[in-house]
Amino acid sequence: MLLEARHLHIGYGDAPAVWDVSFDVDAGEIVSIIGPNGAGKTTLINAIAGLLRCRQGELRFDGADMTRVRAHDYCRHGIALVPEGRRLFTKMTVEENLELGCYLSAARSLRAASLDRVYGLFPILRDKRQQPAGELSGGQQQMVAIGRALMARPRIVLFDEPSLGLAPTIVDDMFDIIVRVRDDGAAVLLVEQNVLKALSIADRAYVLEQGRIVTTGQPDELLKQPHIREAYLGV
Amino acid sequence: MPSATLLGQALISGVLAGGMYGLLALGLSLSWGLLRLVNLSHFALAFLAAYLTYEMGTTYHIDPWWSVLVIVPAMFVIGLLQHWVFDRFKVNELASLLITFSFAVILEVAIQLYWTADYRRFETHYSTLSIKVGAFYIPVLELILCLVAGVLAWGTWLWLRKTYVGKALRASAEDAEIAAAYGVDHKKLAYLLSGLGAAYAGVAGTFIALIATLAPAQIWAWLGVVFAVVIIGRLGNPLGALFAGMLIGASESIAMAVLSPAWAPVVSFSVLIVLLLWDPDWS
Repeated sequence: MLLEARHLHIGYGDAPAVWDVSFDVDAGEIVSIIGPNGAGKTTLINAIAGLLRCRQGELRFDGADMTRVRAHDYCRHGIALVPEGRRLFTKMTVEENLELGCYLSAARSLRAASLDRVYGLFPILRDKRQQPAGELSGGQQQMVAIGRALMARPRIVLFDEPSLGLAPTIVDDMFDIIVRVRDDGAAVLLVEQNVLKALSIADRAYVLEQGRIVTTGQPDELLKQPHIREAYLGV
Repeated sequence: MPSATLLGQALISGVLAGGMYGLLALGLSLSWGLLRLVNLSHFALAFLAAYLTYEMGTTYHIDPWWSVLVIVPAMFVIGLLQHWVFDRFKVNELASLLITFSFAVILEVAIQLYWTADYRRFETHYSTLSIKVGAFYIPVLELILCLVAGVLAWGTWLWLRKTYVGKALRASAEDAEIAAAYGVDHKKLAYLLSGLGAAYAGVAGTFIALIATLAPAQIWAWLGVVFAVVIIGRLGNPLGALFAGMLIGASESIAMAVLSPAWAPVVSFSVLIVLLLWDPDWS
């Protein structure tokens, strides 16, 4: 297994937001974690990215115990985050945002090739590379956020609500890109409220409700479960 | 209305004097803009450096061009120590005002204990040197100060724009968490920047010793105007700090020539208010 989470408890202050959560992501897989607003999805993914400390439990990435790793060393292990709301460096140019992705020396030495790859994936960004990232449209900003993650040459990309606030046509493009990221060799952990979309591209999925994993399986199995159909698909 | 020569001379003197504002604003602007720490003790550090320059020059007869080589690295180390306090106690923007104010008071008292409250003047044979260009006199020391300030501001600007460390600092200023997720060790960079800011105070202090008359209470003399300069120049923008310093210096000097010297203190904040209301898109 590439990523192994066992009995994770994560939270702010006194109240844990995520309880006893266990899941795996294997190399070359897209794993989706779906669930309603406030279920703890962002908390969970932020902990996997190193932004938050786990209070309890085991987090292993490629055999390494990540609970002992400092926040700024997660990227060195090959974990890259596409955060909720994109969180670009809005005053810096598009290219500077991408360059921040390859800040660490291993990725930095591949800067030119990585930039070519990202501009190949998102040609519009090449035209806008000298513009402040904050001036771009929502969809273009999402492209920069994904590009920034790819610049790090990650072994797993964590996507947190990549479809949030985007026009429906652009949402489809984003999910196509996520599949390409996987096909290019990185594993993907995807957290989404857009359940149908998230399940359509996933190899496996987990359902997170009120901070706990309630069920797991392959997308077509999950789509047959009455609870999923009722709560998420409204049928 | 004063003559054109007088106005021209006022403009030149003002721009050159503004170089000192810019140089002092440089370190302040960096730590405020990029670390969210407002360092009121920046002026006290500059004066400590000035007194050290004075002491080495008068007691040990070491030329300032040599003593600066010791003082600037020493100031860098003091900057690191100061940042250790910020780091240790997780100081935020507001608390930094209080803490650095107390640093400044402590430094002021220490300076007063050692060098007394008397006015001190570091006399050198070149302190009044000036070159004549046409009808105008250009003081040499102030010209050198402006060149040094220009090189530091330009160099820092390039450093922030072109290097990975500079970009990481700017990124961290906007979203430290995400910058860390891409490998930026903000803590380490913050130490570097704090040291650098204090080193700039050391450079400013050397020139203060050569140009100004020293007294412990003078620590506070430039506080208001340099704060205005930092804000006009945009936080974290080294070239902005320099140009704003020169703008304020020139405005003050012209106000003194046209109106009366009493008007000078009004100028910087009037310019600040006008620019804040007008909000030109310079950055």
